Amino acid sequence: MTKISGGLLILLVLSACSSRYPAPVEDREVTTRVRVPANQDSEGVQVYSLQNPAVKQLTAQARVAERDGNLDQAGAFIERALRIEPRDPQLLQHMAEIKLQKADYQQALSFAVKSYDIGPRVGEICSRNWRTISVAREHLNDTDGANEAETRAGQCMNTRPKGL
Amino acid sequence: MARKANKTRPAKQKPVAKKTAAKKSVAKKPAAGKPVLLRRFLRALLLLSGVGIGLSLPWVIWLDIQVRSEFEGRLWDVPSRVYARPLSLYAGKSISRESLLVELKTAGYRQLKQASEPGSYSVKGDLFSINRRAFVFEDGAMPANRFLLQLGGDSIKTLSYDSGTGDPGLVRLDPAEIASIYPLHDEDRTLVSLREVPELLIMGLQAVEDRQYKHHHGVVLRSIARAFLANVKAGRAVQGGSTLTQQLVKNYFLSSERTLVRKANEAIMAVLLEWHYDKAQILEAYINEIYLGQHGRHAIHGFGRASEFYFDRPLRDLEPQQIALLVGMVRGASLYNPRRNPQRALQRRDQVLDIFGTTGLMSGDQIRTLKPLPLGVTDKPRSGGSRYPAFIDLVRRQLRRDYRETDLSSEGLRIFTTLAPSEQEYAQRAVSRGLKDLQQRGLPADLQSALVLADVASGEVRALVGDRVAGRNYFNRALDARRQIGSVIKPLVYLLALEHVNDYNLTTRVKDEPVSLRQADGSLWSPANYDHKSHGELPLIEALIQSYNQATVNVGLNIGVANLIRKIKQLGVATEIPALPATLLGAVELTPIEVTQMYQSLAAGGYSVPLRSVTAVLTPQGDLLSRYPLRLMPLDNREAVAVLNFALTRVVAQGTAKNLNELLGNRAVIAGKTGTTNERRDSWFVGYSRDRVAVSWVGLDDNRPAGVTGNNAAMRIWAGLFRKLPIEAVDLRMPDGANYWWVDIEQQALTDPSCPGAVQIPFIDGTEPRMSTKCLEKKNSKNRKSLWRKWFDDKN
Repeated sequence: MTKISGGLLILLVLSACSSRYPAPVEDREVTTRVRVPANQDSEGVQVYSLQNPAVKQLTAQARVAERDGNLDQAGAFIERALRIEPRDPQLLQHMAEIKLQKADYQQALSFAVKSYDIGPRVGEICSRNWRTISVAREHLNDTDGANEAETRAGQCMNTRPKGL
Repeated sequence: MARKANKTRPAKQKPVAKKTAAKKSVAKKPAAGKPVLLRRFLRALLLLSGVGIGLSLPWVIWLDIQVRSEFEGRLWDVPSRVYARPLSLYAGKSISRESLLVELKTAGYRQLKQASEPGSYSVKGDLFSINRRAFVFEDGAMPANRFLLQLGGDSIKTLSYDSGTGDPGLVRLDPAEIASIYPLHDEDRTLVSLREVPELLIMGLQAVEDRQYKHHHGVVLRSIARAFLANVKAGRAVQGGSTLTQQLVKNYFLSSERTLVRKANEAIMAVLLEWHYDKAQILEAYINEIYLGQHGRHAIHGFGRASEFYFDRPLRDLEPQQIALLVGMVRGASLYNPRRNPQRALQRRDQVLDIFGTTGLMSGDQIRTLKPLPLGVTDKPRSGGSRYPAFIDLVRRQLRRDYRETDLSSEGLRIFTTLAPSEQEYAQRAVSRGLKDLQQRGLPADLQSALVLADVASGEVRALVGDRVAGRNYFNRALDARRQIGSVIKPLVYLLALEHVNDYNLTTRVKDEPVSLRQADGSLWSPANYDHKSHGELPLIEALIQSYNQATVNVGLNIGVANLIRKIKQLGVATEIPALPATLLGAVELTPIEVTQMYQSLAAGGYSVPLRSVTAVLTPQGDLLSRYPLRLMPLDNREAVAVLNFALTRVVAQGTAKNLNELLGNRAVIAGKTGTTNERRDSWFVGYSRDRVAVSWVGLDDNRPAGVTGNNAAMRIWAGLFRKLPIEAVDLRMPDGANYWWVDIEQQALTDPSCPGAVQIPFIDGTEPRMSTKCLEKKNSKNRKSLWRKWFDDKN
């Protein structure tokens, strides 16, 4: 009996270890379904806002935390960066992607929408915005919304933002 | 705990016995062959002592329970520390010289000629050299760090390492400690574990207070006897003869009485402590418990807090002469108080240094170099109590959702808040000066005010004022004053109108005409305009920026009071609101913080965020207990919010708040709304720049008519605050679903920028006018012709 329970305990401990070990970034949904396709979409149509060095530093720290699976920590770094640049679409989108990895789909959706609203609405970031919205909606069982967002992602490279 | 304030102990002779302390005296076996009489006497004595022990046993057990519960329970009652937001410094950051100085000062930084020690800075012209302290931030520990900061205008021009080259990118100042949340017994301490205590303090304490500490069992009978003799000789209590253990017990049950029974109890409890716990545990308890000063009504307990209180640095960073001072103060924290009695404290410190010398803890040379040094005590303790009681009130209310009050006051939590000390300072000043100014203009002297300032995007509360007097908080008006909001409600009526895309846009003609409504009690309600005139049919934007009551009621009745109440709830206000027609004109009682919450959602373009005052709570060891991250709650119809924001900038540009530009020196585009209630009882102003939203209220506590209006009182206070802040213009770009069009408002038609009466205003897509002005048609036909000509020319 004790042997069995001992074995169970070891199994439990091992499974806990394996589940705590973060998946490599390149295997995560955020990479396969948002970042990589958006990057492929963009084909050189890039609109980057000029980031201040403090924001860059915090973004880099967030990336490291994200890679190591410390998503709360990554979120905290981005939140600090947002205190400096509250209207930086890149930061808002980065937060959306962190929330996506945390399976906090409602927040992922909110940050991606805000990033799109105040962002350039064109190019790679636009594609990441809509792809994040699509994945989040899918998880929130809004299939039609997800499909619509997917279509919008495809248009990021050929529509000019209105009113410009 | 005021009774502790003057507690001093008389000078006592130190135990100098070299031998181990006398062991407990136990009756020895009688030697064989002793006379019968002696045997009988001893038997009687044994019997008597047996009876004595039997009788005193319950007493000893009672003492045991007492002292153990103190030892195990009391040690953990540590107040929580509340920190302001840490100031982030980086090249390009907007910050005025004055703000930087206020931030440094509140964070306890001292100005020195050279920023040679952590927690100090020096200034030469616009160049600041800052020596940042080591600090455990909410996301980890940072070492001390010296850096240079060059101001240029009202921003940071460059940031560099101390060598003058390289950019550290981002540096955070360790935050100001803005309050402590104390246990009920008002004891202030910062717990330290024995391993963080400098060796010199551990050894020095024993050298000065109890050289037998390692060997005795709680009491040293020889010392007690010597003290007893000295006291008898002097005819009064002049010597203590207590061991560290006895002193610890005495601190647990502080009382100034010096009776024999008390002494005996202390001695018994000391022995009991030694029986239950080991020397290291007792010493650690002593180091955290001993009384070392008084700060207002809070007693400073333990060397950890004393080190922060007197030297503004953690215990592990103390220098030898500073340790000597604290060790010396054990004998009389008040008598040797270095701030009040510096001379006496210095003598005592040097005396202790001498003891360190004679006991071999330090060399003679070391002592000679240390003695000329000053006490090194800061002028004022860095914090204590609460400098910002109104804000701390908000912090407590936020934390009460997740923590019990007893945990807050006893677990030594480290609470990171959103308060910006410089902005708080400006806010309080704006209120105090603003009200004084109004008094000089003939308004009542007992006017009161509240002011709430928050970050637009994050909802973080940066400043909160609840009283005209700084630091006073018997009534926190920012959180608790429920007052009618008057015209401050109107933008929400118009927001709802704009959401009804089939009926309204900013150019829609609305009727500013008399209106009479039968109320529930049968009476007739006929609101008038402020100027007692009706203005007829006018564009919706005009009705809003001039704050016409009758037009608002007409629009409001069309959209429905119930919808308005639903909207207010969506914007984060939980208070019940009556569904009456008068609600449309702000006959709704809300608190300034609720109004701030409502307007944060608008200022952030419909990205509502619950207002927050706390970002994280950590354990004393720096482990994260809770984080309160940014959570967005996007509203529906954000394009209507964006269109409304545009209209609210026009309120400041040409409407009821147009004096604001003059008050602010025309610095940037601001959005705002004034509010006045019946008989001028309340004055409100709500306004926001791109990054800051603030709400100010002015009125009288008993709700008498106060002679105030939105723009004569509250707006002035609001301006007093924003004059000191960096202001970025409100972002007026439209989100997806709304766009700007050139229109002629009077004709409700699209037009060309060059046509007379052309203005550019935003419309939700599809609500823009379908008609064109004649002027536009003419231009278009000309353009078409020219295009035709161009094509024709190209072909040829």
